[in-house]
Amino acid sequence: MEFEAVIGLEIHVELNSATKLFCDCPNNPGDEPNINTCPVCLWFPGEVPRLSRAALEKAALLCLGFNAELQPRSAFDQKVYYYPDLPKGYQLSQAHLPLSRGGWIDIADEDGTPKRLRIHHIHMEEDVAKLVHEMEGRLPISLVDFNRAGAPLVEIVTEPDFRSPHHAMEFLKALRTQVRYVGSSECSMENGTMRVDANISIRPKGTNQMNTKVEVKNMNSIRHVGDAIAHEITRQSMAVTAGESVVLHTRLWDPDKKVTLPMRAKFEGPCVPDPMVPEIILTKQEIEDLRARLPEMPAVRAERFVQQYGFSAEEAIYLSSDPEVAAYFEAVIKDGVAPRTAMHWLTTQLIPAVKDRSQELAQIKVTPARFAALLKMLSNDEINANAAREVLAQLFDSDEPPEAIVSAKGFKQVSDRGALDEMIDKVLGEQAAAVADFKSGQGKAMGFLIGQVMQASGGKANPKIIRELLAKKLV
Amino acid sequence: MDSIFFYRNSEKSNDSGKGALQKLKVAVQPNISVKGWPTEAGSAALADFKALEDAVVAERLSGQGANIVGSVKMSEFGFGLKGSQAGCALAEKSADAELMLDVAGEARLAAARAGVYGFKPSYGLISRIGLVGLIPSMETCGILAHNIKSIRDILQTIAGHDERDFSLPDEKMPDFSSQKIDPKKTTLGIIEEVLKDLPSGKRKVLEKELEDLKKAGFVIKELSFPDYSQFMLIHQIVGSVEASSCTGRYDSVRYGRRAPGAKNWNEMYLQSRGAAFGTLLKSYLFQGAFFQFERYNAYEDACRLRAQLVSEMQKLSAKADFLVFPTHNPAASGTVDSLADLYEQFVYTAFANVTGQPALHIPSTVDAGFQIAAKRLDDGRLLDLGDYLLSHRHGGKS
Repeated sequence: MEFEAVIGLEIHVELNSATKLFCDCPNNPGDEPNINTCPVCLWFPGEVPRLSRAALEKAALLCLGFNAELQPRSAFDQKVYYYPDLPKGYQLSQAHLPLSRGGWIDIADEDGTPKRLRIHHIHMEEDVAKLVHEMEGRLPISLVDFNRAGAPLVEIVTEPDFRSPHHAMEFLKALRTQVRYVGSSECSMENGTMRVDANISIRPKGTNQMNTKVEVKNMNSIRHVGDAIAHEITRQSMAVTAGESVVLHTRLWDPDKKVTLPMRAKFEGPCVPDPMVPEIILTKQEIEDLRARLPEMPAVRAERFVQQYGFSAEEAIYLSSDPEVAAYFEAVIKDGVAPRTAMHWLTTQLIPAVKDRSQELAQIKVTPARFAALLKMLSNDEINANAAREVLAQLFDSDEPPEAIVSAKGFKQVSDRGALDEMIDKVLGEQAAAVADFKSGQGKAMGFLIGQVMQASGGKANPKIIRELLAKKLV
Repeated sequence: MDSIFFYRNSEKSNDSGKGALQKLKVAVQPNISVKGWPTEAGSAALADFKALEDAVVAERLSGQGANIVGSVKMSEFGFGLKGSQAGCALAEKSADAELMLDVAGEARLAAARAGVYGFKPSYGLISRIGLVGLIPSMETCGILAHNIKSIRDILQTIAGHDERDFSLPDEKMPDFSSQKIDPKKTTLGIIEEVLKDLPSGKRKVLEKELEDLKKAGFVIKELSFPDYSQFMLIHQIVGSVEASSCTGRYDSVRYGRRAPGAKNWNEMYLQSRGAAFGTLLKSYLFQGAFFQFERYNAYEDACRLRAQLVSEMQKLSAKADFLVFPTHNPAASGTVDSLADLYEQFVYTAFANVTGQPALHIPSTVDAGFQIAAKRLDDGRLLDLGDYLLSHRHGGKS
């Protein structure tokens, strides 16, 4: 029997608001343990939670970025369970009245056709503390770091629209891009600011059955989500083929062995409305004001890049997938660089160089203005591509304008026809064999001769003019 | 050992020389935070816990020149009056007023026991910051005093917006200032179903009070509220579920005493929480956990019914300016050993905690006295009626 998978995702995104969700503590979980705590997030007696407006706005913008419907009324509930990472016996989450309902992300299917994957709802909740298990002599102890307790999270719960690991991975990539665009989170699975659980069931292909699902957790990269789903589909298909039934449970992905393994069930009770955190009421006007703050989203921007700059869809999507790259690109062309030149040099030279140096585009000394100045010298034939690459390398460590570096290093391209004529004549005199090859119809000899002239000029000659002059002389 | 006070303020008195509450001696309970004071809320769960900062009510009292003289012994987390000395400091004149949480009627019952006025303000008027509560959606800070003026002065001091307490409803503060009551233009309602179920002795006393009020010119109206008995039930279910969550933080992980010898975290929770709470509270918390985990539908029904009761009560309020209720006399009860014993005391008080409306206990030399209640945010008018009764009852002497 041929099976198809029915997959839904639950994605936790840690918001990057300055403070925690219910107090003014810095939202920096990675700091020295228990530095970012206060009586509110440690839930001392008599303390009252205070919902952070900034965190709420980050969450709301994230929802709007997915075309979700912000709810005029949403509220917090208590998810009750007892565990040392939870400082009050319940987690504040939105179980009954979530912040938004609906929404979607469009991706390209395996064969390139567009596919819309729907979101069921998005709700807010607080993160829990971090447990560190250690040995004190022979005694096992657990230490609790409350820096993360109360950090703001949103949980994005999708519809079971996914059929393959590809769908899940493309959805997560697009989700990450969109959340970065609205500026609500870094969405890094590696750093734990995005955590993904996948619910997977299988059914005979072509049917509408909804069978028992298995939840898979503990994937720490988008790649692993794909691998874990693929493994789980195979595992369930084999089990069902062998006549076993799938039971509802949770499994953990083991990235080393590349298998999913069952985990012990965690007790969870129903959620009761929280009597302390007031309802969130969003008026139509507030929702419209938030919508006005939404940046141009990646899909819209990519489409504009195709229309405006004549890029291919692939080029446009690549360029718009990171809001910083897209903004950098547009700043460069605003300074008068041709879009194609800017795109080419940004994606093949600048971004790899930034990565090599482990830096961030926003922090480098190569500002869009300096990069544009460099590219304009290239376009005006003042320097050649080799020189441009060398100058670019220097721009990372120097505050001098690119023009000054070009002059100082003598990179100015030799376009003086008289000087080039002399060099060419000298080379032609020395390379009689190559001249003969070219004349006998071997076109590649031209390239060799250009190279020789370049060498003679110390790399500064304008290759376009060399070619032009050579062609005349070799007729 | 002090028989009334849990903690006495040994620092010199507040002599700022200004403010509406100058020279007023106010007692609190150790679930109302005063910076540096032991704040154990009557429970081993908070043994040795000292408040990190003043509750907003304490801060505002001090700001108006009141002297907070100490905290009075209380029941565990202020639920019921078992072990509580609430009101006793007033009776022996070591305090002029006392602040205590009213969770199911405790402030009014303590007032009845002490023979003083006991006021439960409307829900949402008083900042919760620094109040170690048990049932957030039902409790508020009650005020006990010998006269209405002190209650009004204290209410005007402690009520009102607090930028740190987002749980306060965003609504305009009502006018609490004193106004004249005209009995002929004032209708007092009495709920038939309440009157009908009263023991005959208690009923006679209340009917005599109503007779006197009628003579004074008030219009007395008998009103029907067939679902009245549901108030206690809703309080039992919703209140216990909230209490169960609210005490979840007392887990010995961050503060409180941790029971020694546990082999794992689960044992640590069971043993520490097992040692932290008394039997009565434990059975209450069990009840809440039961409804939450085993009878969730009943809990949801109770929440819906609560909203219904609130709206029925609002309809009743359209028919009368104030309602009259009896007050249970805690002194008349035997020992409180079970939740059933406890609930018996709250039969005439819990309604106001369920609806959030204000209620005032009026002391009397006969029996325990009685309560008057108004619609939510009519606290000022309710105190006006209290004032009228204070100066006109018993042939004008007070």
